[in-house]
Amino acid sequence: MDKRTQNVSLIEIILTFAKIGLTGFGGGMAIVALVERICVKEKGWITSEEFLHGLAFGQILGPFSLNVCTFTGHHLRGIRGGITAAVGFITPSFLLVSLLSWLYFTYNKLPQLQAALKGTNPVVIGLIVVVAIDMGRKQIKGGSGLLMALAAFAATVVLKLNAAWVLLAAALWSLCASFYRRRCN
Amino acid sequence: MASLFSLAWIYFRIGLIFVGGGYVLIPLLNHIMVDQYHWLTLRQFLDGLALSQLTPGPLAMLATFTGFRAGGFLGGLVATVFIFLPCVILMLVVGRNYDRLKNIDIIKSTLDGLLPAVVGLVAAAAWNLGASSLTGIKEFIILVIGFVIFKWTKVSPMVVIIGAGLVGILVN
Repeated sequence: MDKRTQNVSLIEIILTFAKIGLTGFGGGMAIVALVERICVKEKGWITSEEFLHGLAFGQILGPFSLNVCTFTGHHLRGIRGGITAAVGFITPSFLLVSLLSWLYFTYNKLPQLQAALKGTNPVVIGLIVVVAIDMGRKQIKGGSGLLMALAAFAATVVLKLNAAWVLLAAALWSLCASFYRRRCN
Repeated sequence: MASLFSLAWIYFRIGLIFVGGGYVLIPLLNHIMVDQYHWLTLRQFLDGLALSQLTPGPLAMLATFTGFRAGGFLGGLVATVFIFLPCVILMLVVGRNYDRLKNIDIIKSTLDGLLPAVVGLVAAAAWNLGASSLTGIKEFIILVIGFVIFKWTKVSPMVVIIGAGLVGILVN
């Protein structure tokens, strides 16, 4: 760690990530690109390779946009830095959603708002369809993956099973398959 | 109104099984909020999804909206903190040990193997939400237009959702 990263204050960390959380419209990879530009290229807080490792680990649990912020913050100032970066990144969105939620639950009887939401509902479903297709093309490789996707779909749509149980079953299956493949190699 | 403690526990558990980039939250939260606890109607759930797409935060900001509904501002705060707690803790642990993590290939291949199930769950969520909330041909046309824009252009979801809101006001 060079001198420069040692000296970054928590205030600077929270302000930087709040700015990212305030301006990074587009979510997901758009945020990752923004964090990379600011923290790797502009400020030189973290090397490009370390950042990519953080991104890879960030796929494990939760949203990777938040995870790269936590990882970068931790790299700068340890646990306190990681928490500071995460809080800075989430706070603007949290305040915005709280305000929108309040407006929504207070004024949702307004006919104009009802009409507007009638327009947004189908678009949200369209977005979910696109996500399913794009993820499917990237993540489903080969017959067993396709079978697992179809089984998960059928378990929730036809059998009405809880998505959490389906996910846990898939995780268990996948863990066994990983160990099995490792033993074979 | 739900107690803050039970909200914390519910969102913490969701945070623990929150894999695959966030979209898995749609089927999970839909089941818990709409079917299990009846804190939200299906319409409100979809409206909340639209609102959470208006911010730079991850899709998981849906937790703030659903928590707000279940317990006011504090409910939204508790939901947000606890749904992100597991992944923040995990990333801090990873950051601390990241060049020493040993069985990482097993973790990686388990996760890769699990992702097709996430795809199936997301597709099922689209199916369930569509089957129970699309009522007319007009809405179906808006869905197709939204699909085409998201699939083949790079327009931000925020812009599309605001546009869809305006279209909704004009046609209804």
